[in-house]
Amino acid sequence: MNANRAHDEVERETGHGTDLWRVIAAPIVWALHFLFCYIYGAIYCEKLGRDAPLDDARIAIIIATVFALALIALSTVHLWRVRGRSLTDNDFEFEHNTPEERHRFLSHVALMLCVLSAVAVIYVAIPMLYLVNCR
Amino acid sequence: MIYKSAEERQLAKVWEPPKGWRYFSDVNNSTIGVWYISTAFAFMLFGGALALLIRLQLAVPENTLLSANLYNQVFTLHGTVMMFLFAVPIFEAVAILILPAMLGARDLPFPRLSSFGYWCFLIGGVFVCGSIFFDSAPDAGWFMYPPLSTEQSGIGADIWLLGLSFIEVASIAAAVELIVGVLKCRAPGMHINLTPLYGWYVLIVGAMILFAFPPLIAGDYLFELERAFDWPFFDVSRGGDPLLWQHLFWIFGHPEVYIIFLPAIALLAMIVPTFTQRPIAGYSWIVLSALGTGFLSFGLWVHHMFTTGLPAISLGFFSAASEAVAIPTGIQIFVFIATVMMGNVVRSVPMLFCLGALATFIVGGLTGVMIAVAPFDFQVHDTHFIVAHLHYTLIGGMLFPVMAGVQYYYPFVTAKVLSWRLGIWSFWLMFGGFNIGFLPMHFTGMLGMPRRVFTYDADRGWDLLNMVSTIGAFIFAAGFLVMVWDCVRPKGRDKDATRNVWNAGTLEWAGRVPADNWGMRSIPQINSRYPLWDDKTLLETIDQGRGLLPSAEEGKRETLVTSVLDAKPLQILRVAGPSWLPMISAFGLGAVFIFATWKLWWLTLAGGIVFLVAVLWWLWTGTAVIPEKPTKDVGDGRQMPLYVAGVRSTGWWAMFITMTGDLTAYLSLLFGYFFFWTVHEEFPPAHIEGPGWQWPAVAALLTLLTWALTLGARLINARGRPGLAQVLLALGLVAAAASGLALMAGPWTNGLDPTEHTYPAIVWALVVWIVLHLAAGMIMQAYCIARSRFRKLTPEHDADLWNVTLYWHFTGFCGLLTALVIGGFPLVQ
Repeated sequence: MNANRAHDEVERETGHGTDLWRVIAAPIVWALHFLFCYIYGAIYCEKLGRDAPLDDARIAIIIATVFALALIALSTVHLWRVRGRSLTDNDFEFEHNTPEERHRFLSHVALMLCVLSAVAVIYVAIPMLYLVNCR
Repeated sequence: MIYKSAEERQLAKVWEPPKGWRYFSDVNNSTIGVWYISTAFAFMLFGGALALLIRLQLAVPENTLLSANLYNQVFTLHGTVMMFLFAVPIFEAVAILILPAMLGARDLPFPRLSSFGYWCFLIGGVFVCGSIFFDSAPDAGWFMYPPLSTEQSGIGADIWLLGLSFIEVASIAAAVELIVGVLKCRAPGMHINLTPLYGWYVLIVGAMILFAFPPLIAGDYLFELERAFDWPFFDVSRGGDPLLWQHLFWIFGHPEVYIIFLPAIALLAMIVPTFTQRPIAGYSWIVLSALGTGFLSFGLWVHHMFTTGLPAISLGFFSAASEAVAIPTGIQIFVFIATVMMGNVVRSVPMLFCLGALATFIVGGLTGVMIAVAPFDFQVHDTHFIVAHLHYTLIGGMLFPVMAGVQYYYPFVTAKVLSWRLGIWSFWLMFGGFNIGFLPMHFTGMLGMPRRVFTYDADRGWDLLNMVSTIGAFIFAAGFLVMVWDCVRPKGRDKDATRNVWNAGTLEWAGRVPADNWGMRSIPQINSRYPLWDDKTLLETIDQGRGLLPSAEEGKRETLVTSVLDAKPLQILRVAGPSWLPMISAFGLGAVFIFATWKLWWLTLAGGIVFLVAVLWWLWTGTAVIPEKPTKDVGDGRQMPLYVAGVRSTGWWAMFITMTGDLTAYLSLLFGYFFFWTVHEEFPPAHIEGPGWQWPAVAALLTLLTWALTLGARLINARGRPGLAQVLLALGLVAAAASGLALMAGPWTNGLDPTEHTYPAIVWALVVWIVLHLAAGMIMQAYCIARSRFRKLTPEHDADLWNVTLYWHFTGFCGLLTALVIGGFPLVQ
């Protein structure tokens, strides 16, 4: 790794493991949660009729939401360490030419995507909290 | 251009475009890109002329300029042309043109695929557009809702379906090309965090195409089966449901809006830093928001269906996601504004278009947030308010950024700078005309004027607003024509632009003026995001041939393949030169789609044979060619392989990407099966016998066997036993044929009639889909046997076999799943 280090590179020790799959992990959780909510809701209402109360569905959606948020949190904790260790030099540009910098960059993007995905998961769950039936 | 050194002369000779009429056999990205852009703009002008007809018709109440029938054709074709023949292709066109230079590649990895895509686009586009001159254009709206389009449309609906399916082939081809280009063809040292933002956007949009376009292909497939053979997928009287089409269309249609928007905004991400003379503020924020938008955009499709009577809870999920997507979209806008605020803005025409784009898009975005709220949407659905909203997003989010891009990249392509004076005129005419034209439509919509009506009564109070809109539309068109004139006017007396005329920081401006066909003289090591600003010796390094691949001594076109994350050189990729084969293939495939429109089956078959022969010839002569030596000096003493097979090769990635798209299409069909299950009380219906479980079980086992034999052939071949591998492939071929027959035997022996009810129709649709894939897989197995016998596929050079095995991973999976669903699902009911 040292061979690739640019001359003005700052010494860091944040590792090098984050790849593109890790970056899209949280949005994938969002997508699965979203699909689950929609498909579950659609089948539930189609099979039970339009007058059916949403009580059971609500519980399922809440469980799915908590599960999705937990998965996102797991990813966040992992990425947070990268962020914490690289805060020392206040560098958010990620413009150096090393594998480690690429790792920090992807970790930052992944971390921010965790936040966005969590917000989006919560958004999607909100309608279930105040609608009462399938109408 | 005078070439000083022997190396330069070599490069010039190898990359020289063909002369005379052979010019049209060119495949180089700089030529194809220019054709692509010109063609897309020609279609855009046509679509614009249709728009002016619409505005003329609506200028005064009770107008008789266009008949209702012609008006239907005009607005349908306007939407179709602008979306399918301009907005999406212009992304592919611009990316094909500028991406290689931006990444430091000599060409994209599959130049002939770009060429094939271009010809598909041209043929399909002319076919669809030409229909209006025969009074047979599609007339049911650009989304072709059944039952209107299935019951009442004439040949127009078929032209729409088949013509656009054909063009979607071009989009998927471009997605394959561009994704592999961004991931594997960056200059050495261009880590993923140093990749130009345009590259990021192209990557994301390419991936989105793989998940957005296939559902429409699946929908087209079902739709055409209904139109041509009366299989009742959307016919309620026989168990069908028109809403299935709406789902499939909008699973495509909504992400498509972002597929259009993101690459255009990507141009802003290149232009804004140049004219503020500073790096973009918040590179990682742009990446995260582009990625976030890419994902969230798939959770919005039902917001086009708010008034179809779905349960409120479904609307709620989609409404929430539609609001959430405003967050990442907003982040991008704020990053641009921050960059402008922190830099010193250079007054220029491209920048003017950028600022106009931001202002316009923000208006469209805000009305978008309004109509994402379902109750508000109920009120304005299908009114001119929606017309205003979508034009603000598309003109602000796509057209103005593309105009900025044309102004900005014109010197890159032609070595001339567009006129400042004409640029200012065209911007203000377009910007002013657009707002005069479309702002009043918010009010006409609020006053209740519906979309897609060919006239209205004088006492409605819509006449003044409509007249203003029409005047605005013509001012807008005048601005556009000024720009077109500026682009095409003779510029013989203008001086050539200087090198890097805008003082930009990214690599595409490192080229000489006028541009060389080979791209860069040599490929330099990249150490920053804006190498031209940060590395003052860069141009010298490039020009003196001190970078990589400075020559072409073997007389072959070559570009560098690097690793995905850190851009370490991995391979020297030999890319294809000029050839007629992509064009012939496209004409063959075009004949298939065009003749099928009129059910001229023999001619369709003939077209199919031309296509197949041309593609096989193209593959046989131009792909996985065994090089004369295993490795080559990349230019700095390192030896790089010339032939790579398997997961590290570009061909394998291309197959993987294609099959991902194909899998999405298949899953969309499967969604259709389960969609019918949800909407029916009883599915399969009690009075219809299913395909039974026995034949599907046999088919499943045979599919597994085929897969195993093909995989076995690859492993055995790699161990130095090509003869045995050929035998395994031949057995696989037989097993594949048998599994196709077994799959058809289930519904066949149980007498499932696809015209009777949706259930047998969807079973047959799945079976036919798989059988077609098995047939393609058999051709591939036969191809590998032939390659092996002719020693073009050896134990050391087995790229073909790797790719065919990958194909079978996917096809085996889909075949297995189909057998399980059609055979097993009725049992669990």
